[in-house]
Amino acid sequence: MPRRYLLVKILHGGALTDQQFHDSINTSVRTHFGDVGFSRIDPRVIKTYQSTSTSIISCERTALRDLECALALITDCGGTSVTFMVLAVSGTIKGLRKRIGR
Amino acid sequence: MAQTLKTAGYSTVGLAIPTGLLPERVRSIRRTFEEQGVTTALRIDLGPSSRTELLRSLRRFRSAYDVVGVKCVNTRVATIASRDRRVDVVFFDPAMQNVRFSHSLARLLHGALELNLISSLLALPDISILLRIRKTIAVAQEHNVKVVISSGARNAEMVRSPVQLSAIASTLGLSETASIAGVSSTPSSIITENVQKRKAESIEEGVKIVISSRR
Repeated sequence: MPRRYLLVKILHGGALTDQQFHDSINTSVRTHFGDVGFSRIDPRVIKTYQSTSTSIISCERTALRDLECALALITDCGGTSVTFMVLAVSGTIKGLRKRIGR
Repeated sequence: MAQTLKTAGYSTVGLAIPTGLLPERVRSIRRTFEEQGVTTALRIDLGPSSRTELLRSLRRFRSAYDVVGVKCVNTRVATIASRDRRVDVVFFDPAMQNVRFSHSLARLLHGALELNLISSLLALPDISILLRIRKTIAVAQEHNVKVVISSGARNAEMVRSPVQLSAIASTLGLSETASIAGVSSTPSSIITENVQKRKAESIEEGVKIVISSRR
């Protein structure tokens, strides 16, 4: 199945570990869409860029809107308040890397 | 907050200004946003408890603001606000049980319905809130009501990108087209229309001075 890649900006949070970041996304997706929804969305953290506080996350193409919604409803991560903001969506990782470089 | 809005990709935002704020303070707030490259539209949120209070507030404030929003706290206010052409957007607090966006209001509504998604969902993360928003959206869809999707953010932590707001709305049942229009063309058309109306050349709806009589 084709996938979509999202460029996500992490705001207001302290330094998040990859595990915390991963867990907060999984928890939000499971809370709002359930286990069946989680398997449909299939979110994966591809890479986190600490220097720019951005991250690339992928999901199934058909479930893109659901992942955007789940990310918007995350408010805390590991006890600190955090905001995940979707900055761009692309069909390739290369497209998003160009955007980070800009 | 201005910087967060810029990062999120907003070009114009509605600033809900308290009525008693000094003009210099308003100008300085607007300047802060404009320095970040975000255009602002002055907005007032009225929360009247009666018909008389609503009409008095509209008479007093309509001409001073780009966008007038009315928080419907009871059915009487909701009916008057929906019918009045001076009201741009009406919104409901999903936590309030006594008033909801009904079919009769949808038929009357002249302006647009505003959904403050983030402030509603984060303030009370409850299934009943989701249900009420879903029902509101279903009624709006049935009557082809214009929907404005807003975060209702009071601080930078509540700001979400327009893409995320439209994703929440479409997940809650709003059509893809309406959810995208709700963060782009619908609010922008309201602001453009009102800015035009507030210009000195504007006489009334559809009538404006093209050539000045002064030589």
